[in-house]
Amino acid sequence: MLHSGKTSRDEQFRAEALPWFDDVARFALSLARDRDEADDLTQETFLRALRSWHQYTPGTECRRWLFTICRNHFLRGRERDKRVVSYDDPEVEALAAASIHAAAANRGLGDIFERVDLGDAVTHALDALPAPFREAVVSVDLEDLAYDAAAEVLGVPIGTVRSRLFRGRRLLQKSLLAYATDAGLAVGLDTIRVEDKG
Amino acid sequence: MTMHPMLDCDAVMRQLWDYLDGELTPERMKQIGAHLAVCQRCYPQYQFERRFLDVLAAARNDHPALDQLRLRVMAALKDEGLAGVG
Ligand SMILES: [Zn+2]
Repeated sequence: MLHSGKTSRDEQFRAEALPWFDDVARFALSLARDRDEADDLTQETFLRALRSWHQYTPGTECRRWLFTICRNHFLRGRERDKRVVSYDDPEVEALAAASIHAAAANRGLGDIFERVDLGDAVTHALDALPAPFREAVVSVDLEDLAYDAAAEVLGVPIGTVRSRLFRGRRLLQKSLLAYATDAGLAVGLDTIRVEDKG
Repeated sequence: MTMHPMLDCDAVMRQLWDYLDGELTPERMKQIGAHLAVCQRCYPQYQFERRFLDVLAAARNDHPALDQLRLRVMAALKDEGLAGVG
């Protein structure tokens, strides 16, 4: 049977784009954080993908392509933060993370991520992250994109993804550590261990 | 114990996240893996970061009303001319 161009487009679209529906809906919600806006964004992403399907190379990473459309549309009409933000060196961020681990260990929270159910605290901490850091963390840590894929989706160089990702992770760790401390889960240095004198 | 004179703890700490993300060359991945296996200083931090990343990955929330949204988007795609849906 001969397929017209449109038939083959529709078949490809159904086979390659639609299976990522849940992922795009979730990613849109992570970006917009407002249900109505996110739902419009999801719909617009798929409409745009259908209209520009000829720009997609079948068999390549369709999810990455859809995420890129989703984020580009999200940015449209939105005043993008044009300030020049100086990001720390990613390796400095990595070393700073080591000192967070040391601080956690000092407070008896070295095992915080296995011992404490941080579900809601993580969601809140993520919501509180400035957008550039949140987008990098969502792309790599939640959506499991490789650095190069995240760079394409976010429209920045890989080095920038790495800086923002590491900075975002460090900010999250700090805020989760503060949460655990406030929740009384830490062992303060001033806690006096009472020995059983018999 | 195999020594890796080229790789000290500081170098491992600098690339720990790249290592956890699998973003290094195979050779570097192997070197760092070998260091972590024997280093009592780096290993606890590796564990800490790994569990942190697990906790983060678990924070991924699915859209709360997917079926409803899917119906809406499929209808819009059908209006746009997509055959074989709805
Ligand atoms: Zn070490």
